[in-house]
Amino acid sequence: MKIRHAVVMVIVVILAVALQTTLFIRLRPFDAAPALVLLVVVAYARYLLAEYALLIGFFAGLFQDLLAETPLGLWALVMTVVAFSVLRFRDRFEDDFGLIGPFVLVLTIGGLALFSVLGTIFGEKTLADVGILKKIALPAVYNVVIAPLILRIAPLTLGVTRSRDTAFTL
Amino acid sequence: MWRPSNVDRPTGVFIGLIVISLTLITIDLRADGVGLGSTLRDGTQALFTPVQRAFSVAGRPIADFFEGVSDLFSLREENRRLRAEAADLEQQIQETESIRIRVRELEALLDIDPPEDLDTIAARVLAIGVSEFDHLRVIDKGRNDGVGLDMPVVDEGGLVGRVVAVTDTVARVMLITDPTLVVAVRVERTGETGVLRGRGSGPMSLEMFNTDTAVVRGDLLVTADGRFPAGIPVARVREAARSEVGFALRTTADPAAAVTRIDFVKVLVFTRDDAVVEGFEGGNRLPIPVPVDPAAPAEGETEEAPTTTTTTTTTIPGTTTLPGIEP
Repeated sequence: MKIRHAVVMVIVVILAVALQTTLFIRLRPFDAAPALVLLVVVAYARYLLAEYALLIGFFAGLFQDLLAETPLGLWALVMTVVAFSVLRFRDRFEDDFGLIGPFVLVLTIGGLALFSVLGTIFGEKTLADVGILKKIALPAVYNVVIAPLILRIAPLTLGVTRSRDTAFTL
Repeated sequence: MWRPSNVDRPTGVFIGLIVISLTLITIDLRADGVGLGSTLRDGTQALFTPVQRAFSVAGRPIADFFEGVSDLFSLREENRRLRAEAADLEQQIQETESIRIRVRELEALLDIDPPEDLDTIAARVLAIGVSEFDHLRVIDKGRNDGVGLDMPVVDEGGLVGRVVAVTDTVARVMLITDPTLVVAVRVERTGETGVLRGRGSGPMSLEMFNTDTAVVRGDLLVTADGRFPAGIPVARVREAARSEVGFALRTTADPAAAVTRIDFVKVLVFTRDDAVVEGFEGGNRLPIPVPVDPAAPAEGETEEAPTTTTTTTTTIPGTTTLPGIEP
């Protein structure tokens, strides 16, 4: 990975976590906020080399873990899975938002659902939350709404264009 | 390096990272909330606090703007509700005052020393949890301001949560709605006790031990838990309890505090000794009991008693039951 990419990723993840934890204190339509860090992982994993995309997912998740009270490694695992899913499907959707929108929706729902299940397994009682469906569905919808912005910013900040055209090629 | 021929390199990296994640989870769970994981968390929070402060200040006008726009539509209704609430509260103040006078008379009659008021530390919410599943708030006061582990946090309505982690400048507060948090409560009207469990974003679950005494809608539930001063309002019963087959009454209750919309809070400078109520909460969440000998503090405890440079003195909001006095 180029030094520039590494620096950009560190800054972007810090920005995403800072925005996630401060801007959405009161700005919470229907008492929910986007899963910004997850969206950043989805957006940037489309452009990075496979190994680096996985590492970005892992460390972004680990950073989230360090600022949460959940077991260390839980978000890291979820984000790694999300990054891997992006890698497996990224060339199928190219830049057609008609396809990427549902892709972001499914990945966000899948990531948050995976976190809920794993959280419950590891004693966080996440599934005991009566608003669990809302907490999974609304961030996914918000992610789709802001996805065009983040998906456009990603290649600009990395200074890359998509060059792959073979599905399932990592 | 050996690698199975049918596993490509990214898949190998993926499997490796999953294994590392699971190992981290196992180590952290086994550490029981202390050790390296805790140190890393505190360090990260301390490093990240200036960033959060900057974003919090910068983001406040944006949040104010959007909140103002959304409030325009509900102002009339809110105004009507507040007027009704103000009238209700005025009546409650009068009732409370007469009860307070009676309590003082009874205390004098029974020769009981009136309980001391608690010091409080005013704080502002700096940040929220990193996801919707985190029932956490980061407040802008920490160890330097006198905030300590396990201290109760209240707003004008009642109990908001308790401090679960402290750095020099900020503290993390776990909200009472967290599904891992259980609070022992007492129904103020009847004196019956039960336990209140957080259920995330919805109403909390109340389980009463005595099935003979009814719980009605609107009943105020106050703390009756060794970890908090007695008598802090926690929730109001949402629906009357109905008797079930078994030994407990179950119903739901809404938090008395505006848990999802808190901006300013007060930390009660309350340190219990070792009144850990076993079984009420996951053991890994409980703080280390304060040692009997103050000269030999346990690991993770601060040696000096919290100094309250920015403290004010207050009685617990919304109640006439004072700390240390059980009915």
